[in-house]
Amino acid sequence: MGALGQLGDHLTVGFGAALVPLNLLFGAIGVTMGTAIGVLPGIGPALTISLLLPLTFGMDPVGAFILFGGIYYGAMYGGSTTSILVRMPGEASSVMTAVDGFQMTQKGRGGAALATAAVGSFIAGTFATVMLMLAAPVLVELALGFGPAEYAALMVLALTALGGLAGGDVAKGLLAVLLGLALGTVGIDVQTGQARFTFGVLGLLGGLNVVTVTVGLFAVGEVFWYAATRQTSSAERAQINGSVWLTRAEWRRSAPAWFRGTVIGFFTGILPGAGATVASFLAYDAERRVSPMPDEFGRGAIEGVAGPEAANNASAGGSLVPLLALGIPGSGTTAVMLAAFQMYGLQPGPLLFAQESRLVWGLIASLYISNVLLLVLNLPLIRVWVRLLQVPSSLLFAAVLAFATLGIYTLNNSVFDVFVVYALGVVAFFLRKHSVPLAPVVLGVVLGPLLEQQFRRAVAISGGDLSVFVTRPVSAAILLCALAAVTVPPVVRYVTSRPR
Amino acid sequence: MRPGRGLTVTLFVVSVVYLLGALRISTPEGQYAAVGPGAFPLAIGLGLVCCLLWMGLRPDRGPRVVVVDWRAGVLSAAVFLIYLILLDVVGYLAATVPFVTIESRLLGSRAWRRDLIVSVAITASVYALFQLVLGFRLPPGLFG
Repeated sequence: MGALGQLGDHLTVGFGAALVPLNLLFGAIGVTMGTAIGVLPGIGPALTISLLLPLTFGMDPVGAFILFGGIYYGAMYGGSTTSILVRMPGEASSVMTAVDGFQMTQKGRGGAALATAAVGSFIAGTFATVMLMLAAPVLVELALGFGPAEYAALMVLALTALGGLAGGDVAKGLLAVLLGLALGTVGIDVQTGQARFTFGVLGLLGGLNVVTVTVGLFAVGEVFWYAATRQTSSAERAQINGSVWLTRAEWRRSAPAWFRGTVIGFFTGILPGAGATVASFLAYDAERRVSPMPDEFGRGAIEGVAGPEAANNASAGGSLVPLLALGIPGSGTTAVMLAAFQMYGLQPGPLLFAQESRLVWGLIASLYISNVLLLVLNLPLIRVWVRLLQVPSSLLFAAVLAFATLGIYTLNNSVFDVFVVYALGVVAFFLRKHSVPLAPVVLGVVLGPLLEQQFRRAVAISGGDLSVFVTRPVSAAILLCALAAVTVPPVVRYVTSRPR
Repeated sequence: MRPGRGLTVTLFVVSVVYLLGALRISTPEGQYAAVGPGAFPLAIGLGLVCCLLWMGLRPDRGPRVVVVDWRAGVLSAAVFLIYLILLDVVGYLAATVPFVTIESRLLGSRAWRRDLIVSVAITASVYALFQLVLGFRLPPGLFG
């Protein structure tokens, strides 16, 4: 009982710190800002927190981290809104939400999609925070046993699971993944300092930013697509039919997806480098596999919104585990938060829990509060967001181009990046015209560089012996799953489609 | 050439160029790496070439249904490109207002006055938020 009593003490300290009116205000500002930046394409939580760093320098660290935590959770939620309503993910982690969320909007169920995202995010965020608190020590121990071989295997699993994700055409899904991987190799090789595929262009040395790729492929590509097909396509302007709230059947379908998404998201979030994007991809794939009606995915299945949205929020909680307990960031945002810790002269790790318990538990308590604030703020706002649909598409899309340009420009104060986004938008248009899926390209760009580094590190450790991947049991097991992910679906399809 | 093969052929050429580029990447002198910087691009390039060969040689999958209005697409893409070029020359404020107005016209809007008012409002509020509140440096141009 000692451990539980200790936890009670910690929570008392934490809520004591977080419930100070000023800190509560910071939490509210954080989630509101987070939701707003999540909605804008190109501007994510990592960028916002890094911009606020200089402003918070003189602040009490507890207040600053409560603000950052609010931004993190808020952005995870806000990214879903534009995905669902106009098929433009504000973040890479809501790319999957755009697939079925937008289909739901076209069928008049946009309100329900937003509601399932809001409730799912709340449940996932709350559970992830509970798990962060309870399971952190155990999970940290488990992840400590993971070497580069295991991480590499895990990323191979994420990429191959996508082979099934692409739906009918494996060749096109594979092509998309490979294109993403190829884009990911542009820039300086971190291990040797060798420049690759930069063609002497200075702006390419740092590689292609994930934000740049997401905005180019989705926001800009989408506007080009709209421009060229608006006269010829028969798509009706989306209307909202019936209630903006969930029906009984939608509740029943969402609930299990929220819980599966939460578990997948939390555990994916813990693994350094995996993060919210991978979590949402894996959750979507899982939903499609367990669904009795897999054909409905891509045509407006509510599970396809509920699962990934729960997963990306849960992964935010999960990624705080290695950050706080080990000092290893698990995502772009937590990497910036690590920088914030260092700015205050704090070193995250086991000692932080002992020496700065007011800060650590205050941050954890504020995550609970952020979640409640998000739900309270966003459920009434669904009606407001749905109004977005009444803004004429022409004006909305023109404004999106301007926003996207601004978001990308502010990343590095570079006009070059903006032209890269333009080029990617053109590429996206042609890929889409030939029905090559775009989401796997983004995952390839995210995972490619990580996979390569882990792979090379594993081989370097083994002294050039490639068999490490199959002789280490955990890595071998993960690779077997990856193999199953590409081979099982076609076999099942073949067996079930054979005439009896 | 069968319809829809343009993309496959273009990407195939790009992949071959990528593969040739990958072959030329070498480990810098004095560096040790168990797996060099060229290995991964090489594998990706081979994968791309194989994948595109597969797509190019397999039988067609039936006709596509999307009809594309090339003129409208190219026109709005061209206006966006001009905006990006002007951004650095005349600055954020002076480039964005006419861009949003003209682009929304190209995308099908027929209400000049409303578009102009909305684009001024959006541009000004974004400028206020980014430049004045958050302290970003937007392209200054003529008025900076």
